[in-house]
Amino acid sequence: MLKKLIVFLLIGTLGYTLAVTFSSIPIGANRIGSLDNPETVAAYYLDKSPNDLKVANTITAVVVNFRGFDTLGEVSVLFLAATGLASILYRKEEEEEEEENKRHISHRLNLPSSSLVQTGAKILFPLILLLGIYVFIHGHLTPGGGFQGGAIIATGFLLMLVSYKGFKNNHKIMVWLESLAGLGFVGVGLYGLIRYGSFLQNTGWTGNLNDLVSGGLIPLIYIFVGIKVATELTNVLDILLNIKSRRK
Amino acid sequence: MMEFQALFEQYRDLITIAVYGTAIALIVIGLYAVLMKKHLVKIVIGLSIMDAGIHLLFVAIGYISGGTAPIFSPGNENAGARMVDPVPQALVLTAIVIGFAVTALALSLVIRLYKHHHTANIDQLNSLKW
Amino acid sequence: MVITPVHYIVAPLIAAFAIPLLIKIHKDAARIVPGIVLFYNVIVSLFLMNHIAEHGMISETLAGWQAPWGINLVVTPFTGFLATMVSILGFIIWLYGYRFKRTLKGGEVKYYEILQMMMIAGSIGIIITGDIFNMFVFIEIVGISAFSLTAFYRSRDGAEAGFKYLLIGGFASAFLLLGILIIYTQTGTLNMAQIAERMPDVPQQMKIVALIFFLVALGIEAEMFPLNGWAPDAYSQAPSPTSATFAAVVSVAGVYALIRVVFTMFDVEGVNNYLMVMGFVTMLIAEIAAISQKDLKRMLAYSSVGQVGLVLIAFGIGSNLAVFGALFLMLNHGVIKSLLFMAGSYFIYNTDDKKIKSLNGIYKKLPIVSFFFALGALAIIGFPPFSGFWSKFYILISAADEKYVFLIIGILLVTIIELTYYLRVVGRIYFAKQEGEPASHKPSINALVAMSSLALFIIVIGVYPDLIMPHIQSAADALLDKSNYIQQILSIKN
Repeated sequence: MLKKLIVFLLIGTLGYTLAVTFSSIPIGANRIGSLDNPETVAAYYLDKSPNDLKVANTITAVVVNFRGFDTLGEVSVLFLAATGLASILYRKEEEEEEEENKRHISHRLNLPSSSLVQTGAKILFPLILLLGIYVFIHGHLTPGGGFQGGAIIATGFLLMLVSYKGFKNNHKIMVWLESLAGLGFVGVGLYGLIRYGSFLQNTGWTGNLNDLVSGGLIPLIYIFVGIKVATELTNVLDILLNIKSRRK
Repeated sequence: MMEFQALFEQYRDLITIAVYGTAIALIVIGLYAVLMKKHLVKIVIGLSIMDAGIHLLFVAIGYISGGTAPIFSPGNENAGARMVDPVPQALVLTAIVIGFAVTALALSLVIRLYKHHHTANIDQLNSLKW
Repeated sequence: MVITPVHYIVAPLIAAFAIPLLIKIHKDAARIVPGIVLFYNVIVSLFLMNHIAEHGMISETLAGWQAPWGINLVVTPFTGFLATMVSILGFIIWLYGYRFKRTLKGGEVKYYEILQMMMIAGSIGIIITGDIFNMFVFIEIVGISAFSLTAFYRSRDGAEAGFKYLLIGGFASAFLLLGILIIYTQTGTLNMAQIAERMPDVPQQMKIVALIFFLVALGIEAEMFPLNGWAPDAYSQAPSPTSATFAAVVSVAGVYALIRVVFTMFDVEGVNNYLMVMGFVTMLIAEIAAISQKDLKRMLAYSSVGQVGLVLIAFGIGSNLAVFGALFLMLNHGVIKSLLFMAGSYFIYNTDDKKIKSLNGIYKKLPIVSFFFALGALAIIGFPPFSGFWSKFYILISAADEKYVFLIIGILLVTIIELTYYLRVVGRIYFAKQEGEPASHKPSINALVAMSSLALFIIVIGVYPDLIMPHIQSAADALLDKSNYIQQILSIKN
């Protein structure tokens, strides 16, 4: 009872504080100032992105270039999550045997899906992959990018994993793609460090605004991010789904 | 565009309450779920709801009335002055990915805990002092 | 400059991404590569420390955008000192754990090494970044690695401790995001120096709310009362090298984040007193809880929390001498607590039981390890010929200077408490009757090297504190000289 009271008090205080604080921050107000005299980082980005970097999607410019170091950190968070997941759900041989002796958890995941689902998944899978690749290749031109495209590709793999009982990702290729994409991202960054003296710095050549090949190294980085995110998410799904079906 | 802006100005208070209210409500609901729910998966869901509320706040803060998406697509090349703030959107992308990582890890720990205790009720996990 | 601060982060990242491939070429790659990387980080630290001693602080721009526009990495005497300390301790912990992990099965070593290395790299990232959101990303890198490592043994308690840590960590990241959001709406920037510059214009109410969010979030990372409930469980359930890392690396990064935000970004009156009071409560509660612990690692964990409390008190006093003492204590705490965890884990290894009462007479089985443990225990209590004495001494003097009588009484009281529970353990080790057969797990040579280098540090610094004091003094000066920090970072904008 006392716990309930404390919790409600806590929640009430938090809600009230947030409400009071944000009610004095008007929604829709222009806080970023003008482009000519950038007071805030946002105005500066909106100015530099199309003019210097020739990247149409400013968010991509911010994510990949201005704050590219964050994105590198983010990619490594995903990588660490997949690693941590694997380490937590990794099973020793003895454990596996022990569980084989008392297999009582439902096997629903092992039941095959209906052929309707399977055929549909088979048709959709390449299309989903294609959409994902499209999204991350056009990350600097249209909404979307490496993370979104990678997530789309991972949903394709999820579809296959749930509709086909025996669907196995090719682990060898996955490991290579995962590592090489990560190394590629860092490698592009190191190229900037060695060539221009600043990690992740973009090349001088940037092309024209709204061309597919424009923005210097930004699309390349986003392709690496896309591959990395797709493989990591697929990895996570694979580990989580196979934890039950592995016992045969 | 101008019509929309006029409409926005007209209903500004309503929109403020709706957007901030939703976001804060999500945060509060998530916090409630984390603190009060007994089922481990529900707790993880609560954490995700809380994150969602914060992400919504981020995007709402970046909005500028009458602004377009910060993308200089063809025909929109000189619209820089009328665009919404791109920074919170970039930050929210990072925050979402990190939220995903935390959720995945939390679920894997729930699987572990279930395996050891054969229950997902938090009250029965008492080998360490909670 | 051949070596730049970004090497701290890039080298571990390359290694982490490459280890899954390298392990196919040689199966020991997962063990050796992190060692090379961590050693490289030590070289980077020494190089950068040397560089800033001659040329002043470094603010490295990333992606070619100058400080407020892009993310920057800052190495001042203060951050450089902490980064050096963290990288050296990280390398020593790797050295200690090198053979220890042979007991793990092949596939798992890879996960362990990657997570452990990234936890240290992330801590260095927290320390050297100059951008508040980048700090959040690094806190999450440390967090994700730490949650996974806590549950690494996949025991029942490990999973529970990991889940608890993760829940509290989830709160911390949510609150940190809210704080960053409020600051961003008010200042329109994420660079810490520029936030500090614009902070006087922020309305008081916003400032306070944002500060509270930051204090809650970073207080969790820094193990500050009342949100440090995760710490004892995580410390006691994690593999021993990881416990040492929590004490020596992660808590340092957590305290750094708290101090950087409070001291540099905000200029709110009274927050010093808050730090002092919370540090005091943290210290008192943790030390009292430590007395009643039956589990050795839990006891050490509570003692760690208590030490962090003392560090916070010293930062709260806020005078130059107190900050000096606090930094000295952070260094001592990292070194001594690593030594205690390293020695303690060999006890646990040989008794199959984490309980203190099974340590009876273990001195006959493991004489060298017992000696190191006793040395660490005496040093952390603050006996005169050891380095722990000096940090406590300076903090006491600074408290006396500012006439905080209750602090002096509290610190002395806590010292008596520490004396009780550490000597109880040491007494059991040396004087209780021995039982059982001889030790089955003798310490390996690399573990002995790691432990003796730490022990050597404790003794040498204890006798000649002048060796390290100038570095700490310049670190303390750099932390307190906020306007210089802001100017240096923002003036290079072109």
